[in-house]
Amino acid sequence: MKYERELLKGSTDTLLLSLINRQFTYGYKIIKELEKGSKGYFQFKEGTLYPALHRLEKAGLLEGKWQRLPTGQERRYYYITARGQKALAERMAVWQNFSAAVAMIMQPASS
Amino acid sequence: MSANSSYADNLKHHLRLDTAVENCVVREIRDHIEDKKHELIESGLSEKEASTAVTRFMGSPELVARQIYEVYSQGSWVQAIFAALPHLLVAAFFALHWWQSTLWLIGILVAVIGGAIYGWSHGKPAWLFPWLGYCLMPVIAVGILLVYLPGGWAWLAASAYIPLVLLIVFSVTKKIARKDWVFASLMLLPVPIMVGWILALEGQHGFLSYEQLYEFAPLIALSFAVLALTVASFIRIRQRWLKVGVLLVLEILVLAIMALSGKSSINPGGWVGLVLLALILILGPALLEKYLRRADTKSLNLSRKSVR
Repeated sequence: MKYERELLKGSTDTLLLSLINRQFTYGYKIIKELEKGSKGYFQFKEGTLYPALHRLEKAGLLEGKWQRLPTGQERRYYYITARGQKALAERMAVWQNFSAAVAMIMQPASS
Repeated sequence: MSANSSYADNLKHHLRLDTAVENCVVREIRDHIEDKKHELIESGLSEKEASTAVTRFMGSPELVARQIYEVYSQGSWVQAIFAALPHLLVAAFFALHWWQSTLWLIGILVAVIGGAIYGWSHGKPAWLFPWLGYCLMPVIAVGILLVYLPGGWAWLAASAYIPLVLLIVFSVTKKIARKDWVFASLMLLPVPIMVGWILALEGQHGFLSYEQLYEFAPLIALSFAVLALTVASFIRIRQRWLKVGVLLVLEILVLAIMALSGKSSINPGGWVGLVLLALILILGPALLEKYLRRADTKSLNLSRKSVR
C-alpha cells in the first residue's frame, strides 16, 4: 500500500538508529532484527537498506567499521555516534508526541 | 557467473563513485548476498534457486546504485566554490580588463595548471574537471587562432595542428569518461563558449580587434560567470539527471546570450552549429563511456575464457 510505504520511508532512519543504538550491528543482521522485532511487518528490499545506512553515516549519525570475525570473515559493523544518539532522542520525542496526538484524534476517549 | 558476482558487478557498473567508497559498498553488499544465500540454502533451496531468490530479495541493482550515488554525489560548498573558481577567474579576467596585461594572463595560466596538478594528484575530486578543462583551452585556442595566419600558411598549420589537438582532447576525455562521463562533460563545458566568442568577435578583416574586445568584455565575463554558477550547481546537486540537465540548460543559455549580443558575427546557422557542438560535448562522453565499458566487458570475458 502506498500510504504504508510512505510511512515506512519516513520512519526508516529512526528505526535504524533505534536498532543500532541497542547494539552495534551489520546490514544482514539489521534486516533480520527488523523482521523479527516487528513480527514480520517490516520487510525491506534488502539492497535498499544500504543507501539508508550510508546516508546516516554520511550525516555523521552512524559510523561504519570493518571488523574481522574469529572465522576470518570481515563484516562492516555500524555504531551509533553521539550525534546519532542526540538525533534519535529528538526523533523519538517527536514520534511520541505525534503518535499520542494521532491516537487522541483517531481513538477519542469516551466522555 | 554466479548471481552474487553478477549482482555486485551490475551494482558497481552503475555506482560511479570514488574507488574506495565503491569498493566498500560492493564488498558490503557482496557479504550480505553471501549471508542471505547461505540462509536460503540452509532452508532447503538448491544453490541455483538460492542465487535467483537472493537477486529478488536484494531489489534492483540500478535502484540501489542510484540511491547510494545520491548519498555521495553531493559535494560541499567549498568543493562547489573550488569547481567554480577557474570560471570566475576567466570572468574576472574580462570584467576587470586583466586581458590587457600579459602578467595576469600568465598568472591565471599558472593558477589553472597548478590547480589541475593538485587535483589530479589528490584523488581526482569532482572540482578538478573545470580546472582540467581550462588546461586544454590554450591548446584549443592556438588551433583556432592558426586559422587566422596570413596566406596559405593558415590552413597548412591548422591541418597539422587541429588533428593533434583533437587527439589530445579525445585521449584526455577518454581517460576521464572511464571514471564517470559527466566529469568529461564538466571538463568540456567551456569549449563551445570559447569557440563561440572567437567566432562572435570575428571582424570584417579577420580576427578580433582591441575595441571589439573592450565592447564585448562585460558579456564575455557574464557568460563565464554563468558557467561558474553552472558548475557550482552541478557539484551541489545529488541527482544525476539533474546534474546533466543543469549543464545542458545553462550552457545553451550562455550561447543564447552570445547570439543575442548586439554586434555578434554569429549567424543563425553558426548558432545552431554551436548548440550542436555543446550537445555533442556534453552528451557525447556518455556514448564514449558506454563504448569503453562494452569493450572492457568484452576483453574481460575473453580473458576469463582463456583462463578456463
